[in-house]
Amino acid sequence: MVAKKAYWQILGASVRGSFHYQHHLPNQDAMKWDFESSNSSILAISDGHGSDKCFRSDKGARIAVHVAINTIKRFLASDQNILNQQIVSQELPQEIALHWKKLVRDDIQQHPFSETELNLLKGKSNTLAYGTTLLTVLATQHFIIYWQIGDGDILIIDHQAMVTRAIPKDEHLIANQTTSLCANAAWEDFRCYVQQEHLPKFILLASDGYGNSFSDDENFFKVGSDIGKLIDSEGSSFVKENLESWLVETSQNGSGDDITMGFIFQE
Amino acid sequence: MSKRPGGQLATRPLHFIWIADCSGSMSVSGKIQALNTAIREAIPQMRLVAEENPNAKVLVRAIKFSDGAEWHIEAPTQINDLKWVNLTTGGLTDMGEALELLSEQLQIPPMTDRALPPVLVLISDGQPTDNFEKGLKTLMDLPWGKNAVRIAIAVGEYVNLEVLQQFIGNPDIKPLQANNAEQLLKYIKWASTAILKSASSPPSQLNNKQKSGVNLPKLPDNTPFSAEDIW
Repeated sequence: MVAKKAYWQILGASVRGSFHYQHHLPNQDAMKWDFESSNSSILAISDGHGSDKCFRSDKGARIAVHVAINTIKRFLASDQNILNQQIVSQELPQEIALHWKKLVRDDIQQHPFSETELNLLKGKSNTLAYGTTLLTVLATQHFIIYWQIGDGDILIIDHQAMVTRAIPKDEHLIANQTTSLCANAAWEDFRCYVQQEHLPKFILLASDGYGNSFSDDENFFKVGSDIGKLIDSEGSSFVKENLESWLVETSQNGSGDDITMGFIFQE
Repeated sequence: MSKRPGGQLATRPLHFIWIADCSGSMSVSGKIQALNTAIREAIPQMRLVAEENPNAKVLVRAIKFSDGAEWHIEAPTQINDLKWVNLTTGGLTDMGEALELLSEQLQIPPMTDRALPPVLVLISDGQPTDNFEKGLKTLMDLPWGKNAVRIAIAVGEYVNLEVLQQFIGNPDIKPLQANNAEQLLKYIKWASTAILKSASSPPSQLNNKQKSGVNLPKLPDNTPFSAEDIW
């Protein structure tokens, strides 16, 4: 699906990792996008942790992208100024985190844990079963806001095809360690960035399975500039048609993890 | 044009490192021969695990320590190219120096932040004769030190288990106690296959400053002492 009328358009795909395929595991990533108006495009990507204890993280990821989109739309529709620092860095992350937990608890009530599942949690918080990350971008004609909790990448590609991370890597997170929506006071782990000048040409969001499939950042960042060039030269429909097969090939020859990639662009 | 965007793809490196005690006491009752045999027998099974997990690039190294420490296999070696040269014994138990040597190679660089958690297997039959605490601190101050999967195998009954437990750094995992060649083989194989397999495909984990993000497989039974135990 490519939205036609928005100032910022969005395309994307999510593929089950080759390792997940081999071991009969589901795709634990989720992605959703929406348009509050022709001027406001929102994209969210979530990557369920997938560990033994996070046995419902695929569901947690789906809940996360749903909550992120709806929460931002609600703020946009309200009288509040979403550019207010307090709203960007505290109120909105807090509302996303609390609403996610509420929906997770509702889901647990509707689908109680089995004895085996409870044993896996070993007395830890029930929401751990749904543990997941969240990358979210609100792109408008005049500003862009980026939020990130947990691993994954948000790349911005400027008009000279220079690629950088919107939010720097958290150097404390290696070895598949991640911050998570399921943590206590998870909103404190959100990192955000508001951009009001020199808006980029493209924005790429990806779960960590994508970046981990390349030998280094230089080879990964090339994805951003390459897709930008392809949209300019071949059109977004060409990228849309091929994206899924590119991601499958990347997972097979790279990390083996699920890969989800969303791309925000103008055409 | 349908060329995949992005540069060169790469599977994720998984460093597996043996840290072997080669002090004089390891020559008693055939311990070092048993260790050499066990590692040699484990290699074909490690190859199978690596083949089953093509998205992890298994790279093996080994450190030996006695009077000081040195690399027994210095270059990260792909499991298919690995040829085990027998360890020999003689000297003290400079375990702290082994951890210092190891730490030099777990820094970023030469490690990359996209690697899988390294697997470190410490094998010892005694207690450190140097500054073990300093070596351990150097290791645990490194992101890849504290996020490594750390396993310890005690050879015989005169081992300082407390030291091995400190190396593991996780109260849920105890040192494996091998009291004869058969048990040593079992534990070496477990570390080289079950642990390697888990480390090849770690899921994401909540940030935990002390443990690796790897779901560890069930520990093998720590068989109690019996009359047949020789070490």
